[in-house]
Amino acid sequence: MEIFTKINNSFRGGVHPAENKHLTDERSIEAGPMAKEVAIMLSQHTGAVCQPLVKKGDVVKAGQKIGDNDAFISAPVHSSINGKVKDITLQSHTVLGRSLALVIEADPVDNPLKEPSFAKFGADFDAEAFAGEKIRNAVRDAGIVGMGGAGFPTRVKIEPNPTMPERTLIINGCECEPYITCDYRVMLEWTYQVIAGVKLARRASECSQVIIAIEDNKPQAIETIQTALKNCRSGADIKVVTVKTKYPQGSERQLINAVLKKIVPTGSIPPKIGVVVLNVATTAAIAEAVVCNQPLTHRVVTVTGEGIAKPGNFYVPIGTQVGELIEFCGGATAAAAKVILGGPMMGIAIADMSTPVTKTTGAITILTKEQLQHSRIAGSETPCIRCGRCLETCPENLMPTKIAHAVKYNLLDLAKDYFMSACTECGCCSYVCPANIELTGLIKTGKILVARQAKRMPQ
Amino acid sequence: MIENLTVTPAPHIGKAISTRRLMTDVVISLVPAVAAAGYYFRAPALILIATCVISAMATEWICNRFRQKPVSAGDFSAVVTGIILALSLPPNLPIWTAVIGSVFAIAIGKMVFGGLGANIFNPAMIGRAFLTACFGMLMTTWAVPATINAAMPKISQDTSPDAITQATPLAWSKQAVKTKSGAEMVNQQLRACFTGERGGCLGETSAIALLVGGVFLLARGTINFIIPAGVLLSAAVFAALGYLINPQSYVSPLLHLTSGGILLCAFFIATDPVTAPLTTTGRWIFGIGVGSMIMLIRMVGEYPEGVMYAVLLMNALTPLIDRFCRLIPTGGRPNV
Repeated sequence: MEIFTKINNSFRGGVHPAENKHLTDERSIEAGPMAKEVAIMLSQHTGAVCQPLVKKGDVVKAGQKIGDNDAFISAPVHSSINGKVKDITLQSHTVLGRSLALVIEADPVDNPLKEPSFAKFGADFDAEAFAGEKIRNAVRDAGIVGMGGAGFPTRVKIEPNPTMPERTLIINGCECEPYITCDYRVMLEWTYQVIAGVKLARRASECSQVIIAIEDNKPQAIETIQTALKNCRSGADIKVVTVKTKYPQGSERQLINAVLKKIVPTGSIPPKIGVVVLNVATTAAIAEAVVCNQPLTHRVVTVTGEGIAKPGNFYVPIGTQVGELIEFCGGATAAAAKVILGGPMMGIAIADMSTPVTKTTGAITILTKEQLQHSRIAGSETPCIRCGRCLETCPENLMPTKIAHAVKYNLLDLAKDYFMSACTECGCCSYVCPANIELTGLIKTGKILVARQAKRMPQ
Repeated sequence: MIENLTVTPAPHIGKAISTRRLMTDVVISLVPAVAAAGYYFRAPALILIATCVISAMATEWICNRFRQKPVSAGDFSAVVTGIILALSLPPNLPIWTAVIGSVFAIAIGKMVFGGLGANIFNPAMIGRAFLTACFGMLMTTWAVPATINAAMPKISQDTSPDAITQATPLAWSKQAVKTKSGAEMVNQQLRACFTGERGGCLGETSAIALLVGGVFLLARGTINFIIPAGVLLSAAVFAALGYLINPQSYVSPLLHLTSGGILLCAFFIATDPVTAPLTTTGRWIFGIGVGSMIMLIRMVGEYPEGVMYAVLLMNALTPLIDRFCRLIPTGGRPNV
């Protein structure tokens, strides 16, 4: 059976920014800094915010559940270190502005650095030993969420959809954002753990077809996974598919379109059409949770960009402050001008260095003044000349300039008429705009305004 | 601690492209046409082009000062308007007329709407329309190119060797439509139309120069192929229909495509993004509309040439086209 199919698949629109992955793609995953203090956000996922399960002054152990919510679309949070709850306070949150976080002071004596679990997985891993229900429960208890960025609770995603007889599981190893290499390193170094996670996810979601999708700019990852699959028991029915290197290939709606030629209806989610998309880091976390019984308390973060002294990929406790990680990497250079949580296309620029790493933080990218001058500087915008480049690149076939200008002049109904809610905020429109208009920023603002309006007016 | 951090919405990187670069590309692409104008019509042509550019830029500067807005001359859009207006004027037009045209084009055609990006009509065409309305005689007197080959048969009835004006191939073709004869003679002028050795507006005489500029714009990705394709294909289809029906009264499609302002229109005027529709479908409609309208005016209407009116009419329809050609998201309409 053919394991490897060369499908140079793609989707409509998209852009191809300079990849800049060379800064960190050769750096293997290293242990991060020993955190003196971590801040565990109670909201690190899409869905209901967790309630704290501990009080100020409580002693907590690494891996202990410290926040949870009974809602189906939610995920518990765990302490990533041994220590004492110092405070329950508001912290900078990249989406909500400010949100509650449990600040845990590290126990200075008993705090071993957590080792990654990849050594426990090999070619002989057998997923049949685990029942689907057990896997699903373990995923929920471990607090696993989509680690690619959106943070949708994985437990909800892997619930088998009985209305769709033909289900497909796509493992997302695209990593289409420039600079970021955390998933790439995970694929190279934790190969068997990822494959174990894939098998477990297949059992849990009862999918008949499994596809690992990797962009064609990562030939080494493709080869490593293929070789590992050949060595594996029951690895033959997992297909590796090469997809075109293009942003936003790793966005699940675009990936499903590229790989399966299926379209996820606007406002719907992939499981509704019988497709489950999981990020490679998420599958690694599933394997760790099910087999080693360890919750999601650590993740790989790429610290990169021209503005950092020593870029690299690090295995860090969730809750580590961004500033601490930057210091660990030799600090920012004098030219550093922007600190981004995530990659340069979708990441969020931050000013507060005490912002903690969350389950969805794949990278910290530090750009320099020079790079900003060559790209987009706020305030340098000129009028829209209706060139239509944003329409051509929009992967969702929207009219970004129309939506953005409707929002700018506070015409929210008009923005809705142009299908504002269908925007995935990928940033392609702003990227190509010759007039330097903050199209994506305006559309995001519009969405927030609509959400606020909806709350103000009870039904 | 990191000092002076910038915080803006994502994305944080962008393509190295700006309005100024797009406009510079258009200016560069017009160089062959300007050179051809200089070659065939000599100094007066270059003076006319310079006049239009300078007065267009000055008008924009004054309007911005008047509106207390930042100076927008840096985006070079006024330069483009100036050159295109000049290229669409007859070579022997008095300088003061060109100044009036440029001032009107920028002040009324563009700035009263709110400047770049807000105008409904192509500013250069507005300027030209104003001049046509005010100085009809001057706007339809065509100088003979300075390099005209004396041995070549003149297409105008005036065959005296010292003729300084002559009819354009299109005027002749209009004559053929009316008298239902003589179209074949016009067809013999094809070579002159390609090189530019014939009467006509400054920039529209040399098809080769315009094609070079157009191909440059397409290759650079500055303009999209849809509008030029729509204009040229629809015009060719119309012209071919006429030619097939009666080759005595209708000139060949190739002559139609190389004479008059159709190439200038297809690559430089109709492609002005501000006044053209946004969507792919809309652009096809717009391009085909312009092309068909030009041919309708040329073959059926009273005027020999219809580029200006075709563009202005389709500009007026652009908001409507945009409204009818709204895009539907890839995932379909949301179920709300």
